[in-house]
Amino acid sequence: MSTPFLSVRDLKVHFSTEDGIVKAVDGLSFDVEKGKTLGIVGESGSGKSVTNMAILGLHDPRNTKLDGEILLDGKELITASERELEQLRGNKMSMIFQDALASLSPYHTIGAQIAETYRKHTGTSKKEARARAIEMLRRVGIPQPDMRVDDYPHQFSGGMRQRAMIAMALVCDPELLIADEPTTALDVTVQAQIMDLLKDLQQEFGTAIIFITHDLGVIADIADDVLVMYGGRCVEKGTKKEVLRTPEHPYTLGLLGSMPSLEGPVDVPLSPIPGSPPSLLNPPSGCCFHPRCTFAEKVSGGLCSTAQPALEITDGRGAACHLTPEQKGDLFADYATARTN
Amino acid sequence: MFRFLIRRTLGAAVILLIISAIVFVLFYAAPRDPARIACGKVCTPETLALVKKNLGINHPLPVQYWDWLKGLFVGRDYAAFGNCKAPCLGYSFQNREPVLSTIMDRFPLTISLAIGSSVVFLVFGIGTGMLAAVKQGKTLDKIASSASLIASSMQIYVIGVFATYLLVDQMHWLDRANYTPFTDNPAKWAQGLLVPWLVLSLIFTANYTRMTRSQMVETLSEDYVRTARAKGLSRRTVFFRFAWRGAMGPIVTIFGLDLGTLLGGAIITESTFSLQGLGMLSVKAVSTNDLPMLLGVVMVAAAAIVVFNIIVDSVYALIDPRVRLA
Amino acid sequence: MSLSRRNFVIATSVAAAGSTLLSACSSGDSGGGSGSPSDGATAYTGAKVTVGTKEDSTGPAPEIAGAKKGGTIYGLAPDDFSHLDPQRIYYAYNSTVALLLHRCLTSYKIDSSGKQKLVGDLATDTGTASADNKTWTFTLKEGLKWEDGSELTVEDVRHGIERSWASFITEGANYAQSALTGKGGKWREGYEGPYKGKHLDSIVTDKAKRTITFKLAESKPDFNFTLAMHSYAAVSPKLDTKEKYDKKPAACGPYKIKAHTTDKSMVLIRNKNWDPATDSIRNAYPDTFEFDFGIETLDSVDRLIADQGKDQYAVSIYKGVPAERIQKVLTDPALKKRSFNGLLTGVYYYAINTKRVTDLKVRQALNHAWPLQQIRQIYGGPSAGDFATSIMSPDLIGYKKYDAYGKLTKPQGDPAKSKALLKEAGKLGMKVVYAYPQDPTYDKTKVVIENALKAAGFTPIIKPVDSTSYYDQIQQIDNSYDVMWFGWSPDWPTAYTVVQPLFDGGAIGNGMNNISQTDISWINDGIKKNAVVADQAKAGAAWSALDERIMKEVAPIIPETFSRRYYVFGSKVGGAQFDPNFSATLLYKTFVKA
Repeated sequence: MSTPFLSVRDLKVHFSTEDGIVKAVDGLSFDVEKGKTLGIVGESGSGKSVTNMAILGLHDPRNTKLDGEILLDGKELITASERELEQLRGNKMSMIFQDALASLSPYHTIGAQIAETYRKHTGTSKKEARARAIEMLRRVGIPQPDMRVDDYPHQFSGGMRQRAMIAMALVCDPELLIADEPTTALDVTVQAQIMDLLKDLQQEFGTAIIFITHDLGVIADIADDVLVMYGGRCVEKGTKKEVLRTPEHPYTLGLLGSMPSLEGPVDVPLSPIPGSPPSLLNPPSGCCFHPRCTFAEKVSGGLCSTAQPALEITDGRGAACHLTPEQKGDLFADYATARTN
Repeated sequence: MFRFLIRRTLGAAVILLIISAIVFVLFYAAPRDPARIACGKVCTPETLALVKKNLGINHPLPVQYWDWLKGLFVGRDYAAFGNCKAPCLGYSFQNREPVLSTIMDRFPLTISLAIGSSVVFLVFGIGTGMLAAVKQGKTLDKIASSASLIASSMQIYVIGVFATYLLVDQMHWLDRANYTPFTDNPAKWAQGLLVPWLVLSLIFTANYTRMTRSQMVETLSEDYVRTARAKGLSRRTVFFRFAWRGAMGPIVTIFGLDLGTLLGGAIITESTFSLQGLGMLSVKAVSTNDLPMLLGVVMVAAAAIVVFNIIVDSVYALIDPRVRLA
Repeated sequence: MSLSRRNFVIATSVAAAGSTLLSACSSGDSGGGSGSPSDGATAYTGAKVTVGTKEDSTGPAPEIAGAKKGGTIYGLAPDDFSHLDPQRIYYAYNSTVALLLHRCLTSYKIDSSGKQKLVGDLATDTGTASADNKTWTFTLKEGLKWEDGSELTVEDVRHGIERSWASFITEGANYAQSALTGKGGKWREGYEGPYKGKHLDSIVTDKAKRTITFKLAESKPDFNFTLAMHSYAAVSPKLDTKEKYDKKPAACGPYKIKAHTTDKSMVLIRNKNWDPATDSIRNAYPDTFEFDFGIETLDSVDRLIADQGKDQYAVSIYKGVPAERIQKVLTDPALKKRSFNGLLTGVYYYAINTKRVTDLKVRQALNHAWPLQQIRQIYGGPSAGDFATSIMSPDLIGYKKYDAYGKLTKPQGDPAKSKALLKEAGKLGMKVVYAYPQDPTYDKTKVVIENALKAAGFTPIIKPVDSTSYYDQIQQIDNSYDVMWFGWSPDWPTAYTVVQPLFDGGAIGNGMNNISQTDISWINDGIKKNAVVADQAKAGAAWSALDERIMKEVAPIIPETFSRRYYVFGSKVGGAQFDPNFSATLLYKTFVKA
């Protein structure tokens, strides 16, 4: 096992608000290796985007408290200075966002925005940077890049825009790419194209990718490893196969169960997870999933409402749940069969 | 852009035409008879008839309006004044001076006032707003916002008189407000208008402070600003290259309209400092029922606003590439 | 005889309106009670205006102690003069500069105390009238010249009067024209002015004898006063530029126009062809007068108070100290030394519509009830003016002070007396409709008037009227008002110009000024009789007697105020004094102090 390129240890991100402390991320740990993709899954409010912003150090220091450790290729990021972070952002680690139209400046051409990143980190001339921008556009598959380089974001279609953003994120050959729901706003065919593009680029450059999504179908496509987040914590971790085939957490099970299936009867109603995401201001006692968990009462001693289940990782696999492996084997299998039928 | 300008210019011409017609109608709808006022102390029916003839208002309203329009485009002949070349705005009822030359005479002062105070309130307003946006929530922000609000709540005729008393009469730092044409002596021009500039800019500053501050704060929370930071751009670069662009649009729009209004004359400021600009001219025209002068000033002021409307829209298109000129 | 003249104190001109709109000022004036004149005012001692002799008419004018020739006097004013053509001058503020440029057959010689004499200006004396006062003859002085050196002849005097018939001249006074033609308001009929070579038969000139004779259609014993108006100043046909004359007239007075930028500035320099030996009225000490226009009134008085730089040599030409600064001037002894004041020539009063308020007792009750002191308090206190109790004002020849209704002892009003009178008349609680022009000041005075009327047993109904159409409305004879705010000032200091237009039965009509609609035979007869008394002093006595009788036996009006105006001048200005005719700074007496 090679040293992970990115190593997050016990990350805590707490926001101080008027109503109190919001624990957006409360003790998260994971690794990402070069050339591999980590898929982070979770609902809104689970803390996925907060985690990414924390890695890039983009939170407002006035009301955010970061704890833990983030090591990027050996460099600790939480204690790094703003200057150091600026050197790394867009250079060694890059991020692409969900809404490309809102995330690109409407006042500058695509070419200018790409070139800007390049010039910031390499100090080349305008001409060279422009040439590089054209090259990047070509690489991400935008036709007539030498013409389109002078267009504005609003003149691109949705898919092209996302490609352009990817081009901008990769212009300095970053070693880590964080993709925050980049395909959520795109239709399925375009989505597929983008995912292929990312896979190709990863193969070509060996970039480590963190891919955040709430869509398990996407995870199935692109991820190597999966991390399931709930209530600011990791509730399950493992390889894609492990997590999707044999989930070990009721939440993951629920996610899998709530997906509509292309096979199977069409008139089977969807089974969403009942309830709503937990308040991060006042999280439920014990396991933060227990109010919505179908299996909570199966746990003896009412542990689910009193004790926080520990996340035990063995060989990169684990889940935070009070259910015993035997119980899981029984209960989950029913659901799995119910789904495939 | 060209088609846009053509279309807007034509539209502006129509607007100005309508305004002139409205002023004409309103003027005569008011209960004051301009002939009576120009007639003097003793006004027998015979004298009144003579006055009406001399002023050219013994014709029905549409005829008078048509004559005025004609004069505007091709010139006009007056019994008392001879030929008046186009664009002819007529002669003042009050002192029989040609309206156009009187307005042009007053215009440099009004322009000076407008430009000078614009510079002041743009610099102070936008500067304070930017400062407040950067130090959002901190003490400086609160001080800046309150100060500009207090300043804009002051009345010109109070502050102006006080400023003159303090700076001119007591401390002798400055001369009394006066107008020296810029071409004569730029230093004296600036010195004589300094107090009026500062006082006039007060009422605008708060607006720009608030607008700049809120626009910048809003822009700073936009997604593309987050992207810029994610690319590794420094806070300062982000502030000036991105946040600024976002705030510019509304500021340019409001400024264009403010400038258009200022060019129509700043009545209270001119009155407080005894500066003879378009504002004072318009007041006198109203109080002496001087239709030609009133029409002239209104048209100039309206034209300024309309023109600046067009300029602002054009500039907006330059600033924001998403805007398509209709 | 319907002479529709308008001598409104509240004229619709910009200047006059500004100066006579007395703005409210609650400056904590400490009472002051009765109508005694405030500080700085000289109590009227009678015989302020007389007719001078030939000697009085002979120049030069008496020297002013301490005055030296030279220097520049600066004048500040918010507006340029609207007319410089003498035949187009009627408003007082234009006359202030006309005194420096133009000369008439007669004019007023004013001494340092404000007493004035009518004397010959271009004429050797105040003229000779026939026994029936229908024919007036004047002899021109010798040595009179225009600014270009040409001789000023009797034909110039005639030209000045004749050109007022021209169609482009519509602004001047009408008295002489009506008197010469006898056609009243229709004096333009039959003559079109001198520009086509035609002359009036009623004016006869003898160039050799230097005489000019006026053949009037009516008896006018005060015609020599009429001719003192600038509307009848001389104009040389050779120098007459018609419409252009209004911006740059030719001067025969001590100064001529060097430069005039409309609405900006005017510079007057010495007229070298004016011979002081021909002028018993004017001194000409400064070399130059420099006028600055566009200086707002408050700003100009602040400048004069600050007394910096050139302003030390400056005066306010025709704008008095506004209410906001009166207190400062009154209480600062240094400033008071640099100020003068005087009464305006007219009287503010309230006309009672005698066709609606028919009972004398009711009108007398109104007089008793009216709250003069409270009204004056709103105007600014005792400094705003003196309580008026008569139709004639102190500047008129023959003025006699009397107090028919105890207003000087009880200026706050006497509600008890009023109620008693109303009871006698059986009209207690009577409705009375009070009309006034809408204006911030009069919106305030109406409150104290309403309260006083209520306390005095009336039921007041207050009707504010739009100020721009006020006169039109109250001059309708079938209007629905009982009491109407009004004001009147004479064009020359004889009472005829006040009593006739306001109380002659023949002056009742739409657009005319007898808005009290007084038509009483003994008044009409009295007016006719007094109008032909040749001796002005005797006439004056007769008029004041008539005045008193009208007020006591008819009470058609409620007199209110003789307004006072204050002026401040720079510390290096000498000789500045109040012009009693035009209520401004008398420019030709000023000099530059060393």
